[in-house]
Amino acid sequence: MAERSFAKEVEHLRIGNGEIFRGEGILAVTKALLQSGVSYVGGYQGAPISHLMDVLSDAQEILGELGVHFEASASEAAAAAMLAASVNYPLRGAVTWKSTVGTNVASDALSQLASSGVTGGTLVIIGEDYGEGSSIMQERSHAFAMKSQMWLLDPRPNLPSIVNAVERGFELSEASKTPVFLELRIRACHVYGSFVAKDNVRPSFGLKDAMENPTREYSRVVLPPSNFVHEVEKVENRWPAAIAFIKKNRLNEFLGGDRGDIGIIVQGGLYNTLNRAMELAGLANAFGETDIPIYCLNVTYPLIDEEVRGFCLDKRAVLLIEEGQPEYIEQAVESILRKADIKTKIVGKDVLPRAGEYTSAMILDGLRKFLSAQAPKMSLKGAAPQPDAGKEIAGAVPQRPAGFCTGCPERPVFSAMKQVEKEIGKFHVSCDIGCHLFSILPPFDIGNTTMGYGLGWAGASAFGAKAKQRTVSMMGDGGFWHNGLTSGVGNAVFNKNDNVLIIVDNGYSAATGGQDILSSRAPNRTKSTNNPIARAVKGVGVDWVEEVHTYDIARMKRVLKDAMTTARKGPKVIIAQAECMLNRQRREKPLRDKAIREGKRVVRARYGVDPDTCTGDHSCIRISGCPSLTIRDNPDPLRDDPVAYVNNDCVGCGVCGENAHSAILCPSFYRAELIYNPSSLDRVFARLRAAVIGFFQRNADKRRAKYAFGDAE
Amino acid sequence: MTARPIKIAVMALGGQGGGVLADWIVKAGERAGYIAQSTSVPGVAQRTGATIYYIELFPNSVAEEKGAAPILALMPAPGDVDIVIAAEMMEAGRALARGFLSKETTLIASTHRVYAIGEKIAMSDGRQDATAIRRAVDAAAGRAIWFDMENAADEAGAVISAVMLGALAGSNAAPIKRENFEEVIRAGKRAVEQNLKAFEIGFAAAKNETSAPPLIAPEQSAPVGAATPAIAGLIARMSKLPASVQSVAREGIKRAVDFQDLRYADLYLDRLEKVVAADMSAGGEARRFDLSKSVAKYLALAMAYDDVIRVADLKTRAGRFERFRADARADDGQIVRVWEYMHPRLEEVGDLLPPALAKSLLSSKSARRMFDAVLGKGRRVATTNLSGFLMLSALSSLRPMRRSGSRYAVEQARIDHWISRIVDEAPKDYALACAIASLQRLIKGYSDTHARGLANYRAIIGVIDLAKAGAAPAETLARLRDAALKDEEGKAFGIELAKIEQTENAA
Repeated sequence: MAERSFAKEVEHLRIGNGEIFRGEGILAVTKALLQSGVSYVGGYQGAPISHLMDVLSDAQEILGELGVHFEASASEAAAAAMLAASVNYPLRGAVTWKSTVGTNVASDALSQLASSGVTGGTLVIIGEDYGEGSSIMQERSHAFAMKSQMWLLDPRPNLPSIVNAVERGFELSEASKTPVFLELRIRACHVYGSFVAKDNVRPSFGLKDAMENPTREYSRVVLPPSNFVHEVEKVENRWPAAIAFIKKNRLNEFLGGDRGDIGIIVQGGLYNTLNRAMELAGLANAFGETDIPIYCLNVTYPLIDEEVRGFCLDKRAVLLIEEGQPEYIEQAVESILRKADIKTKIVGKDVLPRAGEYTSAMILDGLRKFLSAQAPKMSLKGAAPQPDAGKEIAGAVPQRPAGFCTGCPERPVFSAMKQVEKEIGKFHVSCDIGCHLFSILPPFDIGNTTMGYGLGWAGASAFGAKAKQRTVSMMGDGGFWHNGLTSGVGNAVFNKNDNVLIIVDNGYSAATGGQDILSSRAPNRTKSTNNPIARAVKGVGVDWVEEVHTYDIARMKRVLKDAMTTARKGPKVIIAQAECMLNRQRREKPLRDKAIREGKRVVRARYGVDPDTCTGDHSCIRISGCPSLTIRDNPDPLRDDPVAYVNNDCVGCGVCGENAHSAILCPSFYRAELIYNPSSLDRVFARLRAAVIGFFQRNADKRRAKYAFGDAE
Repeated sequence: MTARPIKIAVMALGGQGGGVLADWIVKAGERAGYIAQSTSVPGVAQRTGATIYYIELFPNSVAEEKGAAPILALMPAPGDVDIVIAAEMMEAGRALARGFLSKETTLIASTHRVYAIGEKIAMSDGRQDATAIRRAVDAAAGRAIWFDMENAADEAGAVISAVMLGALAGSNAAPIKRENFEEVIRAGKRAVEQNLKAFEIGFAAAKNETSAPPLIAPEQSAPVGAATPAIAGLIARMSKLPASVQSVAREGIKRAVDFQDLRYADLYLDRLEKVVAADMSAGGEARRFDLSKSVAKYLALAMAYDDVIRVADLKTRAGRFERFRADARADDGQIVRVWEYMHPRLEEVGDLLPPALAKSLLSSKSARRMFDAVLGKGRRVATTNLSGFLMLSALSSLRPMRRSGSRYAVEQARIDHWISRIVDEAPKDYALACAIASLQRLIKGYSDTHARGLANYRAIIGVIDLAKAGAAPAETLARLRDAALKDEEGKAFGIELAKIEQTENAA
């Protein structure tokens, strides 16, 4: 079960014509898919479209009613390949993933699909993970659209525009026999708003119809000579058809006023940010009313030459607002104007940042520069606010990198690793994608590289030399099933690798929001779970396999040390197991609270630190980093440094205590068990203990009282 | 210019319920007749990082009159945010750093701290200066409402987001009625009672413009009763010390008595008096007896070293039992069981034995093997069980034997040497004497941590004469001390130490 449940929200997917739909951007996308008569949907989770997968997963009943097939695909490549169903049949299909990383994984299938061309409309919904909040390399998906010739929609970030883009996107795809990307930036995925809904549509030609009446067309398969024909089709038929559709249906918008000599061209997704900048400059109002003409590209690929020429023709200069690099649109616009011999000056990256997400402050700054050079008579409201005070204290505001959650079962893996490094020396660590990648941040600072999801072990495959130290690679269970089983484990077996892999088996694709995977322990009504990783690893030929409970740090240390130092040759795989704590708490806490309410005996554990034996060195924090293991003022007036402290978020995982044990840190940690609804036996024992212990304690207090200073304690 | 939206930024940490709060504000805004939009960039920031939730509210009536939908922004613009809600003190600072605070801004912020990992992992005190942040934030924001929201949430048994919602309502900064806010909490159907209580506390705090000054250092415990006759002698000796040294010395004497006995406190005073005498003759009065104060503090810590007896004593006290109950938030009368994570080493046994015996024990391989077999894995001792308590209690009762133990001899010799270095240097270089006194700060912790600190301490003591050959030896020592607290591997320390040794070679 995923981190966030949309069980309640998905009910809104049923609403019909004229009703108001309220919700997040991606929920609106789901509704738009249903309104478009989609036949099948797939994808792979990852921010910012994880919720789209979660929504679809929670909406399976509704999807079922409409005959829509949903798959939580094994990878983006699997999802992209799914679109093959639309090559021969008039089936509408949609897939989704995090981009550019997911698009990279999917690119083989996407290229094939774009070459074959489609009969049914296909939509690839990409969450463009770019700018603030992103967790991946900063690149543009734009290049993929260009090189494979797929159309790229970049609608204005409001729900009606996004829904419209889904509906028109299918039509565009069918009209031009070309798969279409729908790009949604991070904030657009999460934007809450509303739109007027339509009825859901059950596809007139369904998957069942296709399976029972298969047709095939030899010319659709990518193999000579058809592959050569496809390329010609792309430029001679599909491209012109797309241009005609986009023009006719006015997918791009001419907004703003008609002030003659200057204008702005903007990517649809940036329109709201532009308008806010113009509002701050006194050039527009909250409804987007302005004198300056704006050409809003809701389709950023292909460009419509005629529209570009028409917009620029009567203008001295045009500001082009295009996020990221390279500036493909700017180059294309320059080329279009040059060919038409139009002299309009295009101002883009010369006044706007070359790299990074565009904020309203940046656009405002670019706009000022543009206008002062090109329309000096135009007066702008006030100077940009200069937050100087902020700059002064910026250095004093602590960084808050993402990290392992309270009680995370992955933390002890790295605590153990840090301790083993102290014993056998440092080793190279090849990381993977997933929560475990937080190991590269403080306090662990463990890890050299990350080459992509599931590629942790492949990322260390060069290290096959005879050496005194082995390498360690990391992989999550998510990455393992995504491709790590073949690219990592199979690869290591085949190439007689002698190094170590640690697979973090926490039962979910945890980093993306706790979705189920093949090896999840929880039963799942619609998916097959409980397929152990160890069986798969042994199945492809690894002999040295150890399963270790992650919280058992002492054993984790032993097993890792053994793997690193054993004389046995061959690949070694450690499967570090324990359920993701976020999911576990979500599951167990309500049950525990209920049991307490019902009067059942419940024991709850949590940990603590004694401030009078803690000396404020914080070694315990440096091998843990648990959010609930923090610091507070030292109550001892003689000591300078803050003491360690376990706050009330503690879930009682015990890692801090185990660490104190295995690293021989200090005796300050204790485990406290609180008993709710104690049995009568509990009570008898407690009374007995209290009587004896109280006796000794009173005596000791009396002895100390003899030397009292008369202070309040 | 036509109407503009109301812009609200929520600065929260992963897990604080920033998303829930944004949701509540949106729903309350809709009930109050606004078109509401919210966005965020959760992603991996959800995992303990800092996240901004951003909400815009636009009056429905204006949009209807216009017959058009407003264009709302998806991110806050610097200098253009009406309300900032910060769920932690430094996050208010982050809002300022991002340029969100202006004279038009109402800031509603919590005074509590959630320390960032960089602040927590320091080997000494890595906390950022919250006072500076608070001052800058107050100067920048048009209006600032501060109170401890974590405390409020605790009191209500609810999440902090409900307190923030109440504070927003109480601040009157958004044109949304209290009922609208409360309706959305009720409609949420989850922990309604607790959330409403938290809302109420937040509402009241903001309504009264609470601006609790949280930044005053906790006061030292003041005498509330009379001292017992047994310590009259010690008090008399203490009162002869310079006035500015007395309050620290008082704590030091208490610590020495608590650690061992009256005689030990006399030893503490013997040593301190030596330093005070040196301090006086070095003209320390003009320096408010900084040296004596520093020694009074560090000497007490050095003399009350953490051995097994001390730990067992502290773990079994009645006051400690009360404290762990409070820390674990046990209800009155609730049964709480406690296990200690103890990992005694053979060295700790040796500490208690006379030096000669200790030496032969520690060099005996069979003794170590036997010890490791029994206690090598560390033990969890149940202090709330009779067996565990009585064992620790018995250990703590070995206090009278402490003086004959090997550790005692080692510690006293080190302390005497340290004091003599301080007394020697004081008349010649006051600052250097202070620097030597502060080296005691390096010695803390147990086992490896203790060994590392002690080794660094010894290394610095060993280069004092080299440092004296150079310019500003006190600063050199301070630099070395700080470097020793930089990183566990001793990289920074190694570099600083090498610099001094190089100077020697060059000379």
